[in-house]
Amino acid sequence: MNASNQSASFVRTALWFTVPTLILVLSVWWSTSASVETGVVRFVNAMLTSFTLVSFMLLVTLFAYGDARRRPTAPLAGMVFLVMAGVGLTMFFLSQGDLLMEENASVRAQFLSNIVRFATTSAALVLATVVVGGTLLASLLNTPVRTIVFEEE
Amino acid sequence: MTGSLLAFFSKGALQRKLGAAFLTVGFLSLLITPWTASASPSSAFGHLLGSILGPSVLLGVGFYQIGFSGNVPVGRLSATDRRLGVAMVVAGVVWFEAMHWWTLTPTYPDEVNRSWLIFWPTMLLFGFALACGMYALVGQVGDRRVREQRLMLVVASFLMALMVMGLTMDGPSLAKERFAAELLLAAADLFGVLVGAAMAVLFFAVVLYFYESTHVPVHLPAPTEEQLQQAERIIAGNISGGEEE
Repeated sequence: MNASNQSASFVRTALWFTVPTLILVLSVWWSTSASVETGVVRFVNAMLTSFTLVSFMLLVTLFAYGDARRRPTAPLAGMVFLVMAGVGLTMFFLSQGDLLMEENASVRAQFLSNIVRFATTSAALVLATVVVGGTLLASLLNTPVRTIVFEEE
Repeated sequence: MTGSLLAFFSKGALQRKLGAAFLTVGFLSLLITPWTASASPSSAFGHLLGSILGPSVLLGVGFYQIGFSGNVPVGRLSATDRRLGVAMVVAGVVWFEAMHWWTLTPTYPDEVNRSWLIFWPTMLLFGFALACGMYALVGQVGDRRVREQRLMLVVASFLMALMVMGLTMDGPSLAKERFAAELLLAAADLFGVLVGAAMAVLFFAVVLYFYESTHVPVHLPAPTEEQLQQAERIIAGNISGGEEE
């Protein structure tokens, strides 16, 4: 598979992954005419929490990277970059008014609530992956053994 | 968190075991938070974990039993294990459905668990998206995998049907309007988590690229004529092999 085929294949898979779900969500939104504002707040909170926690996890891997490449300052460089990015994102979103706050009274309560919601969402993602991946794996492993038939035979 | 970091990143066996022990104790502590802590998002999450542990284990072990009773070269399970696996998967699915459509809905402290309202629509939505994505992926990378593609379509249709049923019919403890609202919020959560994670990976790649580009090896000057002649002499002296005896 050459590079252009690979990128086309990637784009097609990504479209199959997102478009049916988007159509479904937009249909539900259209039929219920729910408030966009609540959804945007949830989206931003989920994005910031996910960015922060995934960055932290990746940062931990920088210790292994720095150790393997004999570059002990790699985690430090990573921290500086991620702190800069985090500060920039947080300042941007905080400047949008009360965008970050839901029913919580304080930023700390909102942050803890976000972490718990991230954990709940992660549990849902893991279970969905088990269901889909398990179904696929079970089918693949139960495929009859294929034999190669040579034309000479 | 400390336990998982120690378990996954430590090099010593003792530290890994210690990390695994921390992880187990932390997980168990989280599971008992409904009894040890007052009603809060954290204890609601602990309650959710306890509620979904049974059907999740049934699904995981069931798929394992079905998969490894197939055409695997080593450690193949028996046909009885396969039937047991199918029964476990069916029981897991029915259990989860009973949590939405029957009286098994997780209730904490005296209403439907808030975490369940996040978990269930997110699971249905992401499962649907994943099944659609796998349908396309299997068709592109697989050879004669029509059966697997059809299976992914069946899974996607099943999850879609569950969502449509939830959107059009009231459950015993969850009205259709509430389910629709939670489904939309789950979509916002899901896209937010995916976008945030993608941004983190992007920044991580930028950090690595920047760090690698600032540490390029020092360029040496080209060899002089004298150095080349010396190298030639050394090479010539080592490739003749001497006289054959």
